[in-house]
Amino acid sequence: MREMVKMVIVLTVLSSLSGGLLAALKNNTQDRIDSQVLTFVKGPAIENILEGANNDPVNDRFSLKVEGEEEERNFFVGVYDGNPKAVAFETRASGYGGDMGVMVAFNVESEEIMGVSVTTHNETPGVGATVETDTNFKNQFAGLPADAEPRVKGDGGSINAMSGATITSRAVCKAVSRATDLYQQLQSQIKDKVKTFTG
Amino acid sequence: MPNPTKLTVSHAPFLHDGSEISNKQYNIIAATLIAVIAGLLQYGIPALGVLTLSVGSAMAWELLMNLLTRRPVSIGDGNAALIGLLFAMLLPAVVPWWLVVTGTFVAVVIGKQIYGGIGGNPFNPVVVAYAILMISWPMFLDFNAALVDYQFDFTAGFPLVLYEAYGTAGLESFSPGGLLLGQQAGGIGATFGLGLIIGGIYLILRGFIRWEIAVSFLAGIFITALCFNLYNPEVYAGPVFHILTGYALIGAFFLAPEDSSSPVHFAPMLIYGLLGGFLTVLIRNLGAHVDGVIYAILIINLVHPIIDKIRPKAMRRVMHHA
Amino acid sequence: MAKTIGQEFVKGLWEEIPPFRLVLGLCPTLAVTKSVENGIGMGLATTFVLVCANLLVSILSGIIPSKIRIACFIIIIATFVTVVELMMQAYAYQLFQNLGIFIPLIVVNCIVLGRAEAFASKNKVIPSFADGLGIGVGFTLSLTAISAVRECLGNGTLLGYSIFGPAFEPFSFMVEAPGAFICLGLLLCIMNLVGQK
Repeated sequence: MREMVKMVIVLTVLSSLSGGLLAALKNNTQDRIDSQVLTFVKGPAIENILEGANNDPVNDRFSLKVEGEEEERNFFVGVYDGNPKAVAFETRASGYGGDMGVMVAFNVESEEIMGVSVTTHNETPGVGATVETDTNFKNQFAGLPADAEPRVKGDGGSINAMSGATITSRAVCKAVSRATDLYQQLQSQIKDKVKTFTG
Repeated sequence: MPNPTKLTVSHAPFLHDGSEISNKQYNIIAATLIAVIAGLLQYGIPALGVLTLSVGSAMAWELLMNLLTRRPVSIGDGNAALIGLLFAMLLPAVVPWWLVVTGTFVAVVIGKQIYGGIGGNPFNPVVVAYAILMISWPMFLDFNAALVDYQFDFTAGFPLVLYEAYGTAGLESFSPGGLLLGQQAGGIGATFGLGLIIGGIYLILRGFIRWEIAVSFLAGIFITALCFNLYNPEVYAGPVFHILTGYALIGAFFLAPEDSSSPVHFAPMLIYGLLGGFLTVLIRNLGAHVDGVIYAILIINLVHPIIDKIRPKAMRRVMHHA
Repeated sequence: MAKTIGQEFVKGLWEEIPPFRLVLGLCPTLAVTKSVENGIGMGLATTFVLVCANLLVSILSGIIPSKIRIACFIIIIATFVTVVELMMQAYAYQLFQNLGIFIPLIVVNCIVLGRAEAFASKNKVIPSFADGLGIGVGFTLSLTAISAVRECLGNGTLLGYSIFGPAFEPFSFMVEAPGAFICLGLLLCIMNLVGQK
């Protein structure tokens, strides 16, 4: 009986110490990790779609509260020739291998999609994972109106799916649709905020 | 009761019939000669260079490993020379020298000596080496690119590449007779089909390779290709084309029946060969690779110990603790 | 049989060097040694976990009941692995991206649990520290050696710097998975050859 009690106590104390230590560490590193993710994962994706911007879109960001979501979302602003006219943000959709992040950029003047880029994904290497590099596929989204709901051709839309990767293509479309929804919803707030940035 | 006299061994002295490892190796080398000479005539001096470098470096690696592992020097048994020769027969006539030397290193050291030398290798060393090179430097083993400087009086293309790219439409300029006589681009010693067949038949008649493997390998190719061809003759080429192109013939007679990587019982030998032929055509017709022979042989090498477990059931009592 | 602290440390560098002598921890050895940078990063992460886990296990060995010792070891090891993972995410994100899933997998690296069970739980604090450090440094050296061979031949570079010049055609087989096995096997073979003398 005494041994039993000892086992329970040792395990409990050890686990709670470990949990406490890790929770403290997680809290302390959270900000740094977020900024690392911004520079190494979202950064390249943002630079990719906001090519030619005069500012550093990763630094020039603001955040807005979206209805029904706990955390605020980040919006990245692209300034062209002193004129802040592009905004990019990330939406998520479920792909073949799980959650997939897609960065979508909008031109706030012409109300068009400027480009899309994939940030994080778990798609099959060689099949769905080609979404990272397949510019032909991603270029199809550029120029669509900002209220578009793109779909792949098989679902009655106009987007040519990547060969062999319909589910991944569908997920990108879904994420872009979510982005356009969000853009419509927050349009006025986004436009006000974007104006405050200048090159 | 089993016949008690059947398994009895008489008293010494015994008579040695003169067969040795080297005897077999030299006979196989002799059997390749027709195909090799035809290849040399077709491709000239560069092919001779590749051939000598390959044989020479294979023997040098063997000697080096013998010295390193402090074992008796075994280059005299001809096996290293045979590995070098077969390896060169698969290569295009124009390849960088370091590719040949790396290839024979992989074949002799990693393919054979690591496992304790001749008779211990689970894979055919030549096939291992060629597969590893195919993964690493596909651009140098592309026959159309490597042989671009040659002027032939026939369609100068590697038939399987044309087949992969254009389907049967790419093959109109090839006739079975021409293919048999080596009118195709390909490995130094792998194009002259007639020579390979004559060499193979010689080896079978002398008993150096088992006919079961060679014949069933070709039969596997023939049957599978025929099925594909009957299913859709416009897309899939006929069986004769598959047998006469690429490494099919050299694979059937010289690569698949290699001693330590192929089965020894009758039914397993048939299964082994048929499976190899089947996989070859499957890879050629459906896979991404141009020629399936190399990978097919690697796979059947891998499964041969399992196939070899298929044996005739012993009559009467089985001694489990024998 | 008692060894000095120095001997405990040195044995991890040659006598019991993983993965060559103790053929343990093969999963990270084979998976992350595509480049020297990854190899060193993985080695250092494992060293940190080994040293900390060994220290803590030997301190707590009197308290931990033997029936649940494995569970306790795993809690200790997993804690330090998570620490490494968080720190690496915060300060070396690119390395974290390269090593990916193999950082959390240090938890199940049998070297770490093996040292905790076989050494630290039966020895005092200082020798355990020396043992963990020795084995960890040995592991780092082995990973560096394997990854140096693979990166050199397979990519023509060392730590990202080209060493053979542009004429070199990379032997890309070496950075593929089967190349890892062959490379490990050949190095083991050379170690044995040298060790025999």
